[in-house]
Parts: sequence; C-alpha cells; structure tokens
Amino acid sequence: MTGRALLLERTTRPLYGILLAAAVWILLRGHNAPGGGFIGGLVAVAGTAAYAMVFGPVAAQRRLPFGPMPLALLGAALTLVSGLPALALGRPYLTHLWWNLPLGFAELPLSTVLLFDTGIFLAVWGTLAGYVLALLRGGEMDRGGTP
Amino acid sequence: MSIAAAHASDQGSRFLWVALLPLAGFGALVWGLLHHPLPWHGGWAWVPSLGVEFSVHIDGLSAQFLALITGIGALVCVYASGYLAHEPRRGRLFLILLAFMVAMIGAVSVDHLLVLFVFWELTSLTSFLLVGFHHEDEAARNAARQALLVTLSGGLALLAAILLLGDIAGSYSLQDLIAQGPALAADPRLPAALILLLAGCFTKSAQFPFHFWLPNAMTAPTPVSAYLHSATLVKLGIYLMARLDPAFNDLWLWESVLVGVGAFTAVWGAVLALRERDLKRILAGSTISALGTLTLLIGLPNPGASLAAVAFLFAHALYKAPLFMVVGNIDHATGTRSIDRLMGLWRAMPWTAAVAMLAGLSMAGLPLSFGFVAKDLITIAKEDAELLDAIGYATLFVNATVVAVAAVAAVRVFGGPPEWPRDRIHEAPWRMILPPLLLALIGIEFEFLPDLADPLLAVAAQAMAPELGAVDVQASYVFGTVLTAAELTLLIGLALFLIWDRLETVLRPTRWLDRFGPTAGYQFLLESLPRVASWQTRVLQHGRLGGYLRATLVSLMALTVGAGLATWLNLAEAGTRWLQDWRLVGNDWPAQSWAWLTAAALMLAGAAASVAVRDRMALLMTSGLVGYGSAALFLFTGAPDLAFTQFAVETALVVVAAAVLPRYGPPPALADEPYRRNALLAVASGAGVFVLLLGMLALPQDPTLADWFGAASLPQAHGHNVVNVIIVDFRALDTLGEITVVVFSLLAALPLLGALIRARQEAA
Repeated sequence: MTGRALLLERTTRPLYGILLAAAVWILLRGHNAPGGGFIGGLVAVAGTAAYAMVFGPVAAQRRLPFGPMPLALLGAALTLVSGLPALALGRPYLTHLWWNLPLGFAELPLSTVLLFDTGIFLAVWGTLAGYVLALLRGGEMDRGGTP
Repeated sequence: MSIAAAHASDQGSRFLWVALLPLAGFGALVWGLLHHPLPWHGGWAWVPSLGVEFSVHIDGLSAQFLALITGIGALVCVYASGYLAHEPRRGRLFLILLAFMVAMIGAVSVDHLLVLFVFWELTSLTSFLLVGFHHEDEAARNAARQALLVTLSGGLALLAAILLLGDIAGSYSLQDLIAQGPALAADPRLPAALILLLAGCFTKSAQFPFHFWLPNAMTAPTPVSAYLHSATLVKLGIYLMARLDPAFNDLWLWESVLVGVGAFTAVWGAVLALRERDLKRILAGSTISALGTLTLLIGLPNPGASLAAVAFLFAHALYKAPLFMVVGNIDHATGTRSIDRLMGLWRAMPWTAAVAMLAGLSMAGLPLSFGFVAKDLITIAKEDAELLDAIGYATLFVNATVVAVAAVAAVRVFGGPPEWPRDRIHEAPWRMILPPLLLALIGIEFEFLPDLADPLLAVAAQAMAPELGAVDVQASYVFGTVLTAAELTLLIGLALFLIWDRLETVLRPTRWLDRFGPTAGYQFLLESLPRVASWQTRVLQHGRLGGYLRATLVSLMALTVGAGLATWLNLAEAGTRWLQDWRLVGNDWPAQSWAWLTAAALMLAGAAASVAVRDRMALLMTSGLVGYGSAALFLFTGAPDLAFTQFAVETALVVVAAAVLPRYGPPPALADEPYRRNALLAVASGAGVFVLLLGMLALPQDPTLADWFGAASLPQAHGHNVVNVIIVDFRALDTLGEITVVVFSLLAALPLLGALIRARQEAA
C-alpha cells in the first residue's frame, strides 16, 4: 500500500473499538453460549492486525495495553493465579469457585472461571499480536520504511 | 609481596570453619557408634502416592562410608582452605564440595533404591562442577563433560536396573532385596537387571571399559581429586555392589562378571600407572587398579573376601588421599607434576616428604602399616577362593605395581640430589601438611583408634557377609607363606621401580590399544553426535517451505495408511453404513442436507480456485474460502462452538496474512516447485484422510465421556456451553499448559524476529 488510504483510515479507528468490544462480549458470553477467551482473543488479534495494517505496527502497539509480551505474560499469570483460591480452601488446584455478587437489582455471577478465561483471552491476544507486530516491523524494512 | 601473601593466607583461613561441618558429622557418627548399636533405622514418607519413602538404614557398611566421607571430608576442607588460598572463587568450590558431601552421605544412608538413585545422580552432577572448576581451561571442561557423560549414562542403566529389580522383588527397599536374596534368581529378568546394575556401578567406580574418565578427571583441583577420586565418589559403585553382594553372590553371573572385570581392571589400571609421567595420573592409574581389586574381592564368594574388601577400602582411602595431597603440595611449590622434573625435594619440603613416606609405606603394604593388614587379608581371601592361575599372576603384577608406584611417589621425587634452587620452592603451609599427615598416621598405625577401627571393619564386613562371625582384624597377622608372597611382591615392585623410565618403551605396544579402546569409542561417539545432527539438519531443515509441507504430508500419509490397514476390515462395513446413514441412496434427505451440500460446494470451490490462482492475495482469499466452508459445515452439524472458533481463526489468519504479506516483497518463484508431484501428493493425502475418517466412523463409539460432560456441565460447573466448560474448568490444567506454551513460543520467537529485523536494517 503506497500512499494513504483515507477511507480505510476513517473506518479503522471505530472498527478497532467495535472489534475489541465484540471480543470482550464473546469472552463474557462464552460460558453459556458459543464464545470464550480463545475466540475472543482471536477477534481482538484481528482488530490489532487491521489497525496495524492501516496505521503501522508502532501505532498499533501503542494501542495495545502494556505491549504484546507483558500482555501475554499477564494472561498466563491470570490463568495460573485463578487456581490458587481453591488451594486456600483446601480444594485441589484449579477447582473453580463461584460467587454471586448482589447488586440490589440483580446478581452478578463472579467466578475464578472468568479470571481463567480472561487469562486465556489476554494470552492469545498478546502472543498473536506480538507475532503480527514483529512480522510487520520486519516487513517495513523491506519497503525502506522505519520500524 | 609478604604483605600480600599474609593477606592471602588470612583470606584462606576465612574458609577454615567450613571443615567444622563435616567434622561435626564425624563427631556425631563416632558418638552414635559408641552409644547406639547398629543398624540405625529412620525415615519419613516422601512421595506417598508412588510409595517412595525417604527411609534411612545405616549398618556397618554405611557407617564405614560415612566415617570416610565425613572424616576425610573435614580434612580435605582444611587442606583446600590452604591449597586454594589464592583462588578468588574458592567460596564456590567449598559450596559444591559440601553439596557433594551431602549427596554422598545420602547415597550411602538411604534404603529406598529410587532415593538412592537421586543422590547417586547428585554426586555425578556435583562432581561435574568440581572437575570442571577451572572452567576457563578447555582440558578441564572436556574432562568434566567426559566424567559426566560416562557416569550419567551409567546412571541411566542403574535407573533401568532399579525399576527392573523393584518389579522383580516387589519392593524398592535394599533390605527387602537382600532379604529375598537368592529367591530372586528364579525370575528370568534378573540377569538383565544385574547387567544394568553393574554397568551403573562400573561407570561410577571406573571399571574397564569405563575407566578412562578417571585419569582425565585429574584436571580437577587437588583437594577434589584427593576427596572424590580416592576416597568417596569412585567408591560409590563399590558401595552398591558390596551392599547387594549378600543377595547375589551365589549367582554365577555376579561372581564371574565381578571377578573377571575386577581382575582385568586391576591389571589395566596398573599398566596405565606404569606408563605415565605425570605424578597425579600415576596415582589415578593405581586408583583404577585398586578399584578393580575391590570389585574382584566383592565378587569372591567367601566371607574372608568381604573382610579383605572393607579393610582394603579403608586402607586405600587412608594412603591414597594423603598421596594426592602430597602431589598437590609438590604441584603448588614447583608448578609441575612431571616425575622427569622432580627430584630431591626432601630438603625443601621435609614435612611433605615425611607424609609421602608414611603413606607410601602403607601403600606398599610394608609391615606395621594398615596397608599390610589389608594386603594380608586379600592374600588369604584369594587363597581361600579357587581362582584361575592367571588371576594369581595378575594379582602379583598388580601388587608389585602398587609397590613401585608407592616408591615413585614417596622416594623418587623426594630422594636424590636437590635439583631445584631452595629459594624457589617452599614447604606447604600447615593447613596442607596436617590433613595428609593425620590420614597417613592413621593408616600407618591403625591401633591409633582401636575402639573404633576393629568393630567398624567387622560390622562392615558382616553387612556384606552375614555368616562372618566376630573378627579381630589385628590378630590376622600370619607370618609364613603370606610373608613370602609379600616379599616376592616387594622384590618385583622394587625392580619395576628401578626400571620405571624404561617401562614406557616396554609398554608402548599397549598404546596401540588406545586407538581402538574405550577412549577412542567415547571420542567417536562424541564426534558423531554433531555430525549426525548436522546431517539431519541438512536433510530435514533445509529452509524450503514446500519441502517441509511435503515431508509433513508424506508422514501424515504413512500414518494414515498404517491406521487404514489397522481398520481395514471395518471399511466395507463403514462404507455401507455411511451410505445408509447419510441417505445418499434411497430414502428422503434430512432438512440440513442442502446446507451441508452448500458448505461442501464452498470448500470444493475454494480448493479448486486455490490450485488455479497464482496471485498471493487471491490465494489467501480462496484458501480462506475452504476454512469458511468447513466452519459452515460445523455450524450445521451441531457444533456451533467449533464453527465459531473456525470462523475466528480463519478471519484472523486472513487479516493478519493480508497485513503482513504485502510488506515482504515479491513472492519467491513457484516455478521451482514440482507442480505435478505436489498435486498428486495433495490428492493422495486428501483421499487418505477420507478413508481414515470412514474407518474411524465404523469403529464403535463410546459415548460415556460425552454423556458425562453433557450431564455434569451445568450442575457442577454452572455453564451451558459444554465445550467452553471443558476448556476452562474440567480440563483447566491442560488449557493452562497449552496457554503457557503459546506464550512461551512468543518469548522464543521475539529474539529471532528481532534479529531478522536488525539484519534487514543493517542490509538496508
């Protein structure tokens, strides 16, 4: 792509937000309907890749919370940590716990499963985004651009 | 200069306190022996689910080893604090030395074979670090690696032997094994187990053909050699053989292998010693010889041999460790260990010379020394056993060599006119004199510690040979035939000593053996490894993507054909059922059929277009069509989750590839690719997978798991989506592992990609 693609630039910014929102929605609904952390993470990666395609890998990385590697490590850490509360209660590691938080008008079901699934989401997003951005940076050089 | 030296010696004594740790162990052992009768038991569960218990069983044999490990260990620490006074990294050496001590103590104390194996391997690892302590020296690195590879290979054999023995005996307890004893021989697997066990012991205790690592390990700092390579590490294999001797010494296999290998090792070690010029390597050769003699003695079935073995074990440690320290002192003072350059040192190093004389007397087995007692017992033991004449002559040669080596170490380098100017060499500090002097004194007059020594040897021998009654080691002096044999040995030994310089020429033919011997074999294996690795990298990792794909598909095909053959008989039945179930013939079609057909048409169109188009972006889209088609198929066959994942994967792949591909220049020419062969392979693998699936469908399906997950998902895991519940809850640990692998792949890939980016940056 030489030069600027105005149409793409105008649409990509809102598209990025929509894709991320969709990704989080897919993550949250995953326990009872098709979806989950893995699929959500893939959708988020598609968003990051689209953003990077239009605005370049550096700009895309700036939009990525913490950067790819810390994000992936955070995800892995969340999945690891989500199994710990069970240990504190004397149950086997990774026995998931549920807690319904009363909000007055409704109950919010919280669980270590959600923590676990969020960990998968972040790990997939961070890892694949890391690959995409690094590959794009490598490709930039080919065109004589700056990384 | 003097200030610096004083400072350095202060620095050395800073580590003197380390010796208190093994000394405390030694004290505790002596106290225990005086107050509590052996054996001592103890232990606690370690891995209860596997039946692994950290059980301790200390009998006479263990106690003897513990005495050697802690006693000599304390003295070696004192010696090392002097020897390494100028070594800035000596803290590290002391740390590893202590770790090694702990591993040795564990190995000779525990009763559970698997725990013993753990300690056994720990001794190998720590000795690797100790031998390679001067890691900036390539010779030290190679020697350390050699010792590690040889002993760890033996360790693997030992592990296999332990598992086999555990299976045969139904227990991993050493005491249980010994108690079952000869009854184990009924099992046909026992010979294999014993061969593996002995392979482990032989590598550890430097028996032929695994002996070659020991002389090379002499690159280690001298305190390490004095400790590991005379008294402790190399005796660990001897320990295990002695420990299991009561169970197996009636077996022909046990006796013949031990006696045969032991005798040959004894002779070969003597030959190695005779043709060396390096004092330390001469001692190493004679150590191999001594280890061979110990193996031989363990193999002899009579109880007298057991007594001889434990006595010789003690005597050897008591003279060989001080001799190593003597060599260390000489090396320290003169900077050389070559006997060609060492002469008349007694004037400059009188104390070291005295130590060498005392230790040499015991080594040569002269009267009044403990070595004499040991040699005496050995001679009696061999006379009691009915041995081949050849072994008798071999023994004579080995003993004579021992005398000659003792004379070289004690007389040759110290006697004669002083060749070195006195101001250039200096006597070693007290920390390097006292430890070998103490050991040598104990060795020369063992009545020094009568209350400890006699019972210790007796109980150790009884642990090996329960039928052995009470013994009085000191009373076994028998003047008569034994003494004449000893005189003959002495005479031949002295003759060998006198013609030592000509021996090298005499023994030159044995060098010929080196070219084809175990050392050459080891070297060949070591060099083959990178050769094979680079060959398979050239063949498999050639860097051409098409080739990788073909290799993968061909492997897949091979698997498919294998699986297809295994289910061949089901195929006909499967075909019929498939046709009936899917109602392609007869009956009406189900409602979703049209959706299935549409999805299939989508995939077929995508596949056909992929073959036709040559543009990279177009290829990306058409292959994406195949993915979307299969996602649609999943959607209409009741797997919405799978379909969703497939859609997400396909979309992400297309978007990512569309973003990345245009930035990587024009594609490499596809013209090189063998188009027809690829097409054939593609069709063949497609057909293969089809047949495989058909075969799989014909197999009876077990719905237990599917039903259970379906039923348990909501009540137990509060989720309607069974697939997701399995991923995040029922099989959460698997997912955790997978996600970790995913993240780690990025951790590994980022530096590679970074290097690629930098390389391109520099090229630009």
